[in-house]
Amino acid sequence: MQSSEMLGKTPEVQLPAPVIGPGYTYGSVTDKISSLVLSRRTPLAWFVAFALASLGTAMLFGTIAYLLYGGIGIWGNNVPVGWGFDIVNFVWWVGIGHAGTLISAILLLFRQQWRTSINRFAEAMTLFAIANAGLYPLLHTGRPWFDYWLMPYPNTFGLWPNFRSPLVWDVFAISTYATVSFLFWYTGLIPDLATLRDRAKNPLLRILYGIFALGWRNSAAHWNRYHAAYLMLAALSTPLVVSVHSVVSLDFAAGIVPGWHATMFPPYFVAGAIFSGFAMVLTLSIPLRKAYGLEDFITMRHINNMAKIMLVTGLIVFYGYMMELFMGWYSGSQYEEYLILNRMTGPYAPLYWALILCNGLIPQLLWFRGVRNNLLVLFIISLIVNVGMWLERFVIIVTSLHRDFLPSAWGMYYPTIFDWTMFIGTIGFFLTLLLLFIRVLPVISIFEMRELVPESENA
Amino acid sequence: MNQTQVPSGLNRLQMLALIVGGVGFVLLMIGWFLSPAQFFPAYLVGYILWMQVALGCLAILMIYNMTGGGWGYVTQRILRAGMLTLPLLAVLFLPILLGLPTLYEWARPAAVAHDELLQHKSLYLNIPFFIARTVLYFVVWIGLALLLNRWLLHLDQSFDLAAGRRLRGLSGLGLGAFGLTVTFASIDWMMSIEPHWFSTIYGFMFATGAVAAAFALAIIVLNWLMKRTSLVEVVSTLNVNDLGNFLLAGVMLWAYMTLSQYLIIWSGNLAEETPWIYRRTTGGWEVVGLLLTIFHFFAPFLVLLSRTVKRRINWLVNVAGLVLLMRLVDLYWLIIPAFHESFYLDWLMIVAPIAIGGIWLAAFIWQLKKKSLLPLYDAGVEEKLLDYGRTQTSTHS
Amino acid sequence: MNNPTLYGLLAEFTTPEALIEATHKAHDMGYRKMDAYTPYPIEEVGHALGARGTRLPYIVLAGGLVGAIGGYLMQYYASVIDYPLNIGGRPLHSWPSFIPATFEMTVLLAAFAAVLGMLGLNGLPQPYHPVFGVPGFEAATRDRFFLQIEARDPKFDLEETRKFLESFQPEKVSEIERYKYPG
Repeated sequence: MQSSEMLGKTPEVQLPAPVIGPGYTYGSVTDKISSLVLSRRTPLAWFVAFALASLGTAMLFGTIAYLLYGGIGIWGNNVPVGWGFDIVNFVWWVGIGHAGTLISAILLLFRQQWRTSINRFAEAMTLFAIANAGLYPLLHTGRPWFDYWLMPYPNTFGLWPNFRSPLVWDVFAISTYATVSFLFWYTGLIPDLATLRDRAKNPLLRILYGIFALGWRNSAAHWNRYHAAYLMLAALSTPLVVSVHSVVSLDFAAGIVPGWHATMFPPYFVAGAIFSGFAMVLTLSIPLRKAYGLEDFITMRHINNMAKIMLVTGLIVFYGYMMELFMGWYSGSQYEEYLILNRMTGPYAPLYWALILCNGLIPQLLWFRGVRNNLLVLFIISLIVNVGMWLERFVIIVTSLHRDFLPSAWGMYYPTIFDWTMFIGTIGFFLTLLLLFIRVLPVISIFEMRELVPESENA
Repeated sequence: MNQTQVPSGLNRLQMLALIVGGVGFVLLMIGWFLSPAQFFPAYLVGYILWMQVALGCLAILMIYNMTGGGWGYVTQRILRAGMLTLPLLAVLFLPILLGLPTLYEWARPAAVAHDELLQHKSLYLNIPFFIARTVLYFVVWIGLALLLNRWLLHLDQSFDLAAGRRLRGLSGLGLGAFGLTVTFASIDWMMSIEPHWFSTIYGFMFATGAVAAAFALAIIVLNWLMKRTSLVEVVSTLNVNDLGNFLLAGVMLWAYMTLSQYLIIWSGNLAEETPWIYRRTTGGWEVVGLLLTIFHFFAPFLVLLSRTVKRRINWLVNVAGLVLLMRLVDLYWLIIPAFHESFYLDWLMIVAPIAIGGIWLAAFIWQLKKKSLLPLYDAGVEEKLLDYGRTQTSTHS
Repeated sequence: MNNPTLYGLLAEFTTPEALIEATHKAHDMGYRKMDAYTPYPIEEVGHALGARGTRLPYIVLAGGLVGAIGGYLMQYYASVIDYPLNIGGRPLHSWPSFIPATFEMTVLLAAFAAVLGMLGLNGLPQPYHPVFGVPGFEAATRDRFFLQIEARDPKFDLEETRKFLESFQPEKVSEIERYKYPG
């Protein structure tokens, strides 16, 4: 059957949007993306956003300075609730970092072309999210100037880290993830840095881009190995990304606190991480494509697909909540049963129900194509999911800790003003780094976009 | 259009499968008569292996409907035949219903009377509710399979993009229903053999095992057909490579789930959980566990890292065979230690998977023969149209 | 005798098809010291150049094995030999606990092997290469496809090779000179 007949028979069916708008050539793709960095005037909105984000960054470093002076007693952490905002935010940020590597690696292995225009941006988001995540446990040690003790190295004390502790696994997982994500991101950038080197008019810029391009010259022999290396990095990153949030979940699950000790935690945390990561990519890319006129590169196809992945991972997370409830009862353990009861009716119950609303119910709207194609609604849903995933971590950490086995050891947790300034500060810091990235590096992979340009356009 | 014909060798294979299955079932009946206590656990292991294959086929077909991809186009009819064996499996479940008190402690009133925890759980773990749930699972699965089959065949007859979209919607909802039913089926049929024990990852583990088993089967059948039909001209290296990657993902996920459960229970070291892993790592069972670590994970994993193996189906098929065999060993290791503290294997445990497999295979071939080996409809068709449309508009402009 | 400062010849094409055709013909003619420059990776160009598989996978495998074995042994040495400490009554050699860090070390070293191996085999970083001196070569990172035949190829002859390259109707054929700096 000829395709034209197929088309002719069903004219009313709407085709999905393409991955790149019509009418682009190798040259115009290159010029458009590199002009964002090199020649286009920076929009006013960028300066406004940068100023606001910098305020947040200043607040973060102000809080850290006071934290170094005053100690972690300035936070709300207390004896039954030894992990408060610091670990909630740590897990939240690590989770957000997951979409980047997922998009870059897994979608590459599955040859999903639509990943191309969002991977670079999502990878950068990953790096900045991990940077923020890493701050929390490092500062939580109380004496961050001794943090190098976490690393295994022969030392004069004759000490080694305790490899039977999940917290040490975490050091390995997060630092490996940060390093490999950086390698992946930088490897992807090398050909584009060469493109910028060749386009830049300013000699200083040309030298700077030239240094980081490492002398890349688009040689076919180089491309050959480059392609192999890139695929292998993707194949390595895929299990890595799964392992990272699994190890984070083991920080909880390897202990015996009710609400933490569940065998489901590793896959459940990974699904939650992807869920929140895609929510953040949507939150950021919807305004970005508008501000920079990237609608032809980040098309409705991308937005739609990301919404679908959010729906799937959201359902897995919701399944996790249901399993917790069922197994809480099925276990027959009074502690597990009380935990469920306390979550639903205890002092933090409003947060639990808000969580069910944000992560369980509202994302069900994504079943409807109309919702997935409505940018404003999608943007709002993505914000709600970001909030919901934060609430999930709060509920898991705080409500599990504040009432565990002995009622005499129960307590409450209230964040202090410094918990909040630090949290809002990390958001500011994240946005600052992201805005700088948008300003100095290509937000979309130029060479991979050239691959997507249809042959006929260049004839 | 492409009507890849069913080879005649299939009839002979079906006959053979039927004979093996028939003889096997006679032996099973003798076993049942001689020792119900030996028969039921063996039957359960064999039954769940083929159940996992059929359920895996259903799940993969639904995933394919949503994602598209050449690998699914060439295996669609195999998966279809696999999922259409579910009505047969519903019938084959009947012997298990007759052995509930033998298999499940919670179904023995005498045991429940002395156990507070079982009394607590009897709200869920009781015979009428168990049967009702099992009926519900089969209604959902068979309903999904029949509906999917009908819509897929409809797309074969008339090219209808709107129907393709409906099929995707059904697959999305179907996967949700599948996740829930499979979880509770795994709790009911397998986890509740040791009714004091619980593990929230169990449903994920069961589903992963099912998908891995179904991919293994699909590769084996595809290889058999490629040797004998013109399918060999249609299936590309890339399709085989993708199937190899899915098998790799299957064994990696299996290892991930199994290790996660083990590590968490081992670290927690709680009295209500550790007996389960203790039983499976002592009394000779640790050897089976080690066997699984090597042959369900390390060996297939290392071999499948090589692209050369993944791109040659006559090599890949050996790995797939190993994985399918290890699925059986895994189920054996999950179920039998509940009945025997130290290593135990009897002839019924060998006969049961073969007997059920024979009958299953005959039904599978019966379904496979009914239609051409390649469908007309391809779930990736919209993307192809899109690319076509793009070249059209650009040449006109 | 060729000019000693001549590095080779560079033909510029506007389509990948033209480049692939020219490369195939050049390879058939017996030219071996060749390279092509394309704005994005094109597998066929590699095939046309007669490129064989790369050693990179073995380097990555080696990196991964070193990470796996080294990572496990480090934990074993630290927890069992050098600093044995009873923690929660767990065995000193708690193999389940050693798996996460072993896995992370495997991935870390394999990833480093992939990136450093790729750069090393490609001879990067290499700040200067004669081809950068050819005016208009910056289009290789935009929309042009180049074929380079080096002067050290035994079959290379300035006139013959130029004529051969011109037979494919490239945009232009330029000489690549050594020791010439851009700008």
